[in-house]
Amino acid sequence: MTIDQSLFQRTPVPIALLDAQLTFVDFSDRWLNHFGLSRNTLGKPFFESMPKLPEELKLDIDYCLEGVSFRTDSMRVILENGDSVWYEWKIDSVKDDDEEVSGVILVLEDVTEKKLDEAHLKKSQEVARIGGWEVDLLMNTIYWSNITREIHEVSNDYVPNLEEGILFYKEGHSRETITRLVKEGIEYGTPWDTELQIVTAKGKNLWVRAIGEPEMIDGKCVRITGTFQDIERRKKAEIEHKNISKRLALATKASGIGIWEYDVQNNEIFWDPNMYMLYGIEASNFEGVYEAWQACVLPEDSERTSNAVQDAIEGKREFNTTFRVRWPNDEVRWIKAEATVIRDEKGAALRMIGANTDITELKTAQLQLVTSEESLQGAFENSSVGMALVGMDGRFIQVNQSFCHSLGYTNSELLKLTFQDITHPDDLEIDLALLREVVEGKRSTYQIEKRYFDKKGQLVYVLLTVTSVKKIDGEISHFISQIVDISSRITAEKKLKGLLQLTTNQNNSLLNFAHIVSHNLRSHAANLTMISEFLLDETLAKEERKDTLTMLGRASHGLNETIAHLNEVVQVKLETEKKLKVVPLRKTVDKILMDVHALINENNIQVRVDVPNEMNIKGVAAYMESIILNLVTNAIKYRDHKKECTLTIYANAEGQYIELIVEDNGLGIDLERYGQKLFGMYKTFHGNKDARGIGLFITKNQIESMGGRIEVESEINIGTKFRVKLLKA
Amino acid sequence: MSQLQSACIVDDDPIHLFGMKILMKRLDFSDEVLVFQNGQEAIDGLLDRLGAGKPLPLVIFLDLNMPIKDGWGFLDDFVKIPHHNRERVTIYVVSSSIHPLDQERAKKYEVVGNYIIKPVNEQELKQILVGKD
Repeated sequence: MTIDQSLFQRTPVPIALLDAQLTFVDFSDRWLNHFGLSRNTLGKPFFESMPKLPEELKLDIDYCLEGVSFRTDSMRVILENGDSVWYEWKIDSVKDDDEEVSGVILVLEDVTEKKLDEAHLKKSQEVARIGGWEVDLLMNTIYWSNITREIHEVSNDYVPNLEEGILFYKEGHSRETITRLVKEGIEYGTPWDTELQIVTAKGKNLWVRAIGEPEMIDGKCVRITGTFQDIERRKKAEIEHKNISKRLALATKASGIGIWEYDVQNNEIFWDPNMYMLYGIEASNFEGVYEAWQACVLPEDSERTSNAVQDAIEGKREFNTTFRVRWPNDEVRWIKAEATVIRDEKGAALRMIGANTDITELKTAQLQLVTSEESLQGAFENSSVGMALVGMDGRFIQVNQSFCHSLGYTNSELLKLTFQDITHPDDLEIDLALLREVVEGKRSTYQIEKRYFDKKGQLVYVLLTVTSVKKIDGEISHFISQIVDISSRITAEKKLKGLLQLTTNQNNSLLNFAHIVSHNLRSHAANLTMISEFLLDETLAKEERKDTLTMLGRASHGLNETIAHLNEVVQVKLETEKKLKVVPLRKTVDKILMDVHALINENNIQVRVDVPNEMNIKGVAAYMESIILNLVTNAIKYRDHKKECTLTIYANAEGQYIELIVEDNGLGIDLERYGQKLFGMYKTFHGNKDARGIGLFITKNQIESMGGRIEVESEINIGTKFRVKLLKA
Repeated sequence: MSQLQSACIVDDDPIHLFGMKILMKRLDFSDEVLVFQNGQEAIDGLLDRLGAGKPLPLVIFLDLNMPIKDGWGFLDDFVKIPHHNRERVTIYVVSSSIHPLDQERAKKYEVVGNYIIKPVNEQELKQILVGKD
């Protein structure tokens, strides 16, 4: 080794000397620094001491050891962690005196960073489509880089001259501009940086950025270097942006959207022309400060609006509000405002940028809608018709006061129920059937008369109208039920029916009366007429005259009696609706049985009484006595002599009535035959000598005058049962 | 010989019966006067007569208002008597009722010759005899 050791070590490149066995013989200080090694690496094997190196380096060292004098290359090695490291090397073989290779001198450098920079530059030039060019004015030659050629869409071997270069620029503005710039550059050394259009070799229009830097020597331009960049996309985007902005400006103007900006820190407000229109003021009348805007806002909305601005600035909530402004002509307009807040990196609000639109028409329509909804709601709530929204399952969704009132439930009670819960069972089926038809689309509405039970369990008669409400998709969402409470009408109807019945009864009584007059009074009158004629007849035999006088007495007696009966009947009729008093039923029965006990004993009648002591009826005591007496004596009168006679008197409470039953096992009445006449006046059916045909007639009248009824059940030879319904006290 | 062989009165009013008998005797109305107190009695009696081979009375004076079976009931039963003799019988309804409904109803029976409102007088009985000649 003949190399000066110290000189080797001080060489300012990473250099190492290896023997034929590839152990370190020496290295420069720069080597140690570069690879982070210490001097005692000396004598150690090269590859074991170094980090991972490219395979190609090993091969090149081997080549040199085998006699190749010089190798150089740059390659990268991929480390296990995926990083790549670029190495550049130069290898020289070292020979001894015998011309034998005894080792190698190696210069090795990590050039990763350099390599990356290069790669980035190239890449970025490719991506940015930046080409280079140079014009040598002395030689009058022109150089274009590959990208420059690509941009011009010429072949790689194309060499232009200056004139040709200029002719690529589009005729007109672009060509004139570049001609002038090049001229100025050559004459005065003025650099340029401009954006112009070229027409490529293939005829495509393209925007480019051209930069030129003239190089002057002794006031004369010798060379111009520059770059050439394809900016078509950016330019296009720019133009597009310009167009969009223009369109936006047009659109905002047309739509009346006002754009504003508020410089929060400096209290400056900038308005576009639309803003002035929205606020109905001239630009010259607007001071451009926050307070000036505030002054435009209607006082009622001022505080709320200011708070909204403040909240937006503090970042509490988005600025999105509506408020009213008053124009100078006092017209009030609704404004909808939205804005975004722009902040610095610390979050402090710098500016607000926003838009205003006039929504007066919308707001007016909205208010009208709200008003109509409110009035609808009001109509629903205050309607005298009971209204309910009913779900598909029959549940009440919403009910109004009238509905609640009719049914006696509170609102919240009804909302827990379905209509099925409160419908009379007999009316449910028809209601459900009709509802099903609505659901199936066979009809859209129906109306029925039905009965509900109110909260107290009383029947409520209603006229129900059900209408379906459909969703947008046509499915039924719920039903509207309207009920008109017709209970009072039904009650009135019933009352009317009652009155009609009463009238019919009275009419019947009148007919009866006419009949009585016709048959009974007249029969006596006729008898009297006939007899008096006989008495006037001179030829009448003595015996006959005597008989005739007897007959006269009987006839006048009969007339008297009939008149007395009639009087009795008339009396009952006249005293109808007489003040009814409480009459103890048991006491009355007992009193009558006491009165007729001689008759009972005489005829050996078995009497059983089962009338509770506490039972009281509403009636007239004298009538009650007369009624019971009549029924008891009838039972005795028409007893069956062949039987052991029984008489049973008992009573049942039945709702607002008490039913008094007088039952015997006597002769019975053929009701099929006499049923209709049983209670008529002067109807007797047995030919009994005591029968006067007046008792049951009066009894019936007395009972009816006390608001009661009498019915009879009877079978011949089995017995008769009179049922007397009386008002319970 | 009386005008008719047999006549009949169905009435429960003794005064009327008394008067009728006097009037009929004066006119020598019939040899025989049958008297029944009510409709049922009359039907039974007449059926008995037919059973015994005796003829029905040619004239029957029928009251309407009677117990057990009234005049209407008698009429309904009488028209059902299955005997050719019945067709020669004329029934005179004799009632104190001046109700037009009663008169109309009575005239619906073919067998009813006339409706006589009580009291009956001689003239009316004479009229009947003329018709029966």
